[in-house]
Amino acid sequence: MKEISELNLPEDIRYTKTHEWAKKIGKTIKVGLTDYAQNQLGDIVFVELPKIGESFSKGDEFGNVESVKAVSEIYMPVGGEVVAVNQELESTPELVNQNPYSEGWLIELKPTHPAEWDALLDKAAYLVELKG
Amino acid sequence: MKETPLHSWHIHNGAHMADFGGYHMPLWYPSGIKKEHLSVLHHAGIFDTSHMAVVLVDGQDSRDLLQECFSRDLDRCIGQNKKPISVNRCVYGVFLNEKGYVIDDAIIYQVSEQLFMIVINAGMGPTITAHLRDNMKKRNVMITDLTDQIAKIDIQGPASADILLKIMNEPKSLFANFPYFSFKGFFDNKIESSREVTLKNGTPLLLSRSGYTGEFGFEIFITPEHIEALWIDIMETGKKYQPLPCGLGARDSLRTGAVLPLSHQDIGHWPFLNTPWSFALPYDDQNRGLTKTFIGSKSLLKIKNPEWTYPFVGFNVRKVPAGKNTAVMDQNGQAIGSVLTCVTDMAIGRVDNRIVSINSPDKPEDFNPTGLSCGFVKVSKNLKPGTELTLKANSREIKVEITEDIRPHRTARKPMKEMLSIL
Repeated sequence: MKEISELNLPEDIRYTKTHEWAKKIGKTIKVGLTDYAQNQLGDIVFVELPKIGESFSKGDEFGNVESVKAVSEIYMPVGGEVVAVNQELESTPELVNQNPYSEGWLIELKPTHPAEWDALLDKAAYLVELKG
Repeated sequence: MKETPLHSWHIHNGAHMADFGGYHMPLWYPSGIKKEHLSVLHHAGIFDTSHMAVVLVDGQDSRDLLQECFSRDLDRCIGQNKKPISVNRCVYGVFLNEKGYVIDDAIIYQVSEQLFMIVINAGMGPTITAHLRDNMKKRNVMITDLTDQIAKIDIQGPASADILLKIMNEPKSLFANFPYFSFKGFFDNKIESSREVTLKNGTPLLLSRSGYTGEFGFEIFITPEHIEALWIDIMETGKKYQPLPCGLGARDSLRTGAVLPLSHQDIGHWPFLNTPWSFALPYDDQNRGLTKTFIGSKSLLKIKNPEWTYPFVGFNVRKVPAGKNTAVMDQNGQAIGSVLTCVTDMAIGRVDNRIVSINSPDKPEDFNPTGLSCGFVKVSKNLKPGTELTLKANSREIKVEITEDIRPHRTARKPMKEMLSIL
């Protein structure tokens, strides 16, 4: 098990208490699972994602990830419309384990209220959350 | 939480740990469940199973006590011809309460004429000890709970014997005549047979041709002070065969694919009837009556409309959470039961709607399965193999079918000759 100090937690993204990350890219936001989440889940074997064009509010369940042992829901860090989903995960869901912040991203969305991103946890606040 | 003697090894080697049966156990190592699961099919995996409990029953009435408490008829339980249990043989069965509900499942080993060893699940030592004592009456028996006094490694997979060959004394005679569900030696050198089975450094152990994966392999019982050296020796001396440390995650997916129950999850506080494990009940040859009465048997025979437990297999990798919140729906959309276990067996896939394993001799050349969901359901109806069901949990539902078996072409029962080149 990775110690908290061993986790990869980039500075330039925001985090949720439910272990999603959100990265601002121009006017859209990319969303994925944190290194902590993928480490806790273990080998991911399936990722269910929404369709492009679907809209969700902040905190809504928008999909789920399955490890060999468990099924876990994933939640919207901010509300918005899905503008892209990571098609690669259909055939290679293990990308979420291997590169949770790059090739293992989940969806890209157009935020309804861009200010919701500012209210998410920064790295320091997420670390406090993890240390519980 | 309790720890096994290998606990610090697990921590130092990056294991993902969790509570299981009151013990802090590895769920998986950095290699991950998938690789661990596949290693047992391809070459070998090793599991720390020291959390399991051992109880000894000794004395001239030990067999008689077990006949009253255990579900197998010890006079007719070995092989196709149902021979009596004998020294160096072991059998799987269950302990039931008076209602016919499962207290725990167990493997019972006959060590000598009067000495039997019972292997049960984590934390169950005191419960089974008390249950036996409550029912011993005036019998001449001595019951000893060896919880935490015996350590255990399971080595499972086709290379298991080749690895043990390198670390055991006189391996040729050891591996000759070693059928499935037999064992040799003992971990305590007070017993004569312990001198027959020793590591190269002289440490005695009990080697049992059994396991919880459905694959060829052994369970090794040894005193705790020797287990870490043995664990490391298996990996170093057996390096050529790449034995991979495996956690409880891979153990769970492997045993499910092999249609083996997890006690307190697939069998438990409900009648032990209509399960895939009815061989553990002492049915007569006509499958009508029982050949002996034992604690719980009278109640079992009287139970009206008991539920049915079936293995199922999915059509892809997708799962649902097991438990009461997941409904089992029949083809009319009627809720008929609950999901006991639901995992992914990573070694199987469907080819022309047939289940194929990476070990199937007739698998397609380019076979690279992503795995199938599988597990057990408990339902109120008698269902035939092939019946399709929907498992429904919150926002998701998956289709599965009732099956007789899950992962085909398992190796557990293969003759030793096929598994070991020197014989």
